[in-house]
Amino acid sequence: MVRVPIEVFRGGAGTPNRFDKFELELEEHTPILTALLKIRDEIDPTLAARYSCRQAICGSCAVRVNGKSRLACVTQVGPELAKRGKLRIEPMGNQPVLRDLVVDQKPFWDRYHRIEPYLIPDPAHPMPVGKENPMSPEQVAQFQETPRCIACASCFSACPALDSDPDFLGPMALAKLFRFVVDPRDGAFHQRLETVQNQSLWLCLRCNLCVEACPKDVRPAERIVDLKWMANQEIGKREPGSKHSIGFAENIQEGGLLNERRLAMDSLGLIGTLGQLPKAITMMRHGRSIKKHPPIQGREQLDVIYNAMSGREDLQHRPMSGEGGVRGKAPTPPPAAASPPPATATTTAAAKPRPSGETKEAHP
Amino acid sequence: MKVAYYPGCVAQESGKELDLATRAVAPRLGIELQDFPSFSCCGSGFIDESNYALNTALNARNLAIAEKAGLATVMTVCSTCQGMLKLAKRNLAENKVLRARADKVLAQIGMEYRGTVEPKHMLQLIVEDLGGAEKLRPLVKRPLKGLKVGAFYGCHILRPHDTMNFEDPEDPHSFEDVIRALGAEPVDYRGRVMCCGFPIQFVRPKTGQKLAGKQILDAKRNGANAMATPCPLCHISLDTYQKEAGREVGDDLQMPVFHFPQLVGLALGMDPIALGVKRHLVDTSSALEKLGTVGVPA
Repeated sequence: MVRVPIEVFRGGAGTPNRFDKFELELEEHTPILTALLKIRDEIDPTLAARYSCRQAICGSCAVRVNGKSRLACVTQVGPELAKRGKLRIEPMGNQPVLRDLVVDQKPFWDRYHRIEPYLIPDPAHPMPVGKENPMSPEQVAQFQETPRCIACASCFSACPALDSDPDFLGPMALAKLFRFVVDPRDGAFHQRLETVQNQSLWLCLRCNLCVEACPKDVRPAERIVDLKWMANQEIGKREPGSKHSIGFAENIQEGGLLNERRLAMDSLGLIGTLGQLPKAITMMRHGRSIKKHPPIQGREQLDVIYNAMSGREDLQHRPMSGEGGVRGKAPTPPPAAASPPPATATTTAAAKPRPSGETKEAHP
Repeated sequence: MKVAYYPGCVAQESGKELDLATRAVAPRLGIELQDFPSFSCCGSGFIDESNYALNTALNARNLAIAEKAGLATVMTVCSTCQGMLKLAKRNLAENKVLRARADKVLAQIGMEYRGTVEPKHMLQLIVEDLGGAEKLRPLVKRPLKGLKVGAFYGCHILRPHDTMNFEDPEDPHSFEDVIRALGAEPVDYRGRVMCCGFPIQFVRPKTGQKLAGKQILDAKRNGANAMATPCPLCHISLDTYQKEAGREVGDDLQMPVFHFPQLVGLALGMDPIALGVKRHLVDTSSALEKLGTVGVPA
């Protein structure tokens, strides 16, 4: 047993914000949730915390432990105590506090609903009715991480982009969107990428804090990179973000190292670049010119690499991914047994999927 | 210890002071730098967003160049370069399809990637290969007494931890250990592992600047009178755009921000001007005066 100093955020519901300090005798392997419930049961029955399953399935109990977003039920007191000498427990970030450690998850769920988190069938390829709509193991493997998500909002809590720009959809919603974009049964591939282009896909900072916060290794930031290059391949230069990343690649082919002047022109356009002039003048006053690098040695090797790697990519950087384009091959319908699929699966009905998404039928 | 020196684009142009400081400091730490004029850009977290396989192949080429020279380490001085080179190494080791494509195109240009070279940031090299931060103590000629330094790591040197294989990705301490060894006092603040906003400077500048402002303000409120970063892209956000960052958070920040090797160089007794501090946009003299060096006018 060790003595564990714990500071717990209290506030919300009209009470003043403060940290209450407790000291508990605990085993090092005690989960933080157990410690919080001990406080509630034995010291202060007014402490509010949300929890349910106690085994990292329900995703209810996420809090911030010494600043890190964690599931309280599977985070032990020992390691943080050893590192910081105390535990400071705060409610999750980016969501308003209702009371103590309980937050209002509305901002999180609102964004989730905005990505239309269900299959939107392709009218040209109606879902088989009364039969399974199979995918190959390779196709399933393309979104193997995202179904593990338990919607605990740890990633949402840790995201600095959300904290600074409410337009951002956040890590979980975008990871979930990726799951539908690569699902070969979904018919809204282009439309989804169009929408996300306009909905701040480019605000992800790639800080990877969400990757560290996620208790299920969904790796949202990496899924967002996947979405970005799929949007770039599908739609091309349009938003400032896609102009910047596509322009950057072209920029490097030219000389091997970044031409900072050209980058400004490509990403910001003439007007935007002119807006940067005062900054450039200030920098020059400090001896910082922005000249063009001479080309690197072996610059022509880059042309060979660029040529070999050009064109629409498939998801080849993903483990176990198959061949056949961004989303893999179109699903093979189940072998026609006694009767062929009924021709009643009308496109109008198919275009309005049930919100539950995971349905074997195009319509009830 | 001989390393392949990978300065990255920024240190070779708009952030040349980082290169100056690295070249001044490295020999004193026992690091021999070998230059490779054939190194290309690491992709900076942008090329892979337009073409993932291309970015991996470009960095396979970079790593292969160092391997061909028989070196075991590529030393970076930029958290982002470090992140991108390590990401390529991970992809080339784990993804057979990507590896095959990279191997094929490298063969076309007469090169080969074997995976024997390890990218390491200078900070990581000090911690892991040069005996740790404590080994710096005997080299210190001008202890940085009076400096309360907010270390600002830069995301890509830390995360994802299973790609970077460095240290605790959300609560690291290597930089603070170095700051202590140099005679300064590290400042504990949450912003030290957060994002500087650089990646969206071109997409939504105000949000990027707000992020930088928040982290500087966090350091300041926790007592920092200087900051230091191992990433020149963070330096652009924290120093070059500090005025705009201050506007976003409503504070006249006035925070001197040093590059990592500049901070080491100051403690080794080097001339601040030779370390390039005049090239910063935020005046560093408030920090330098604490060290008893001549104040450098902005």
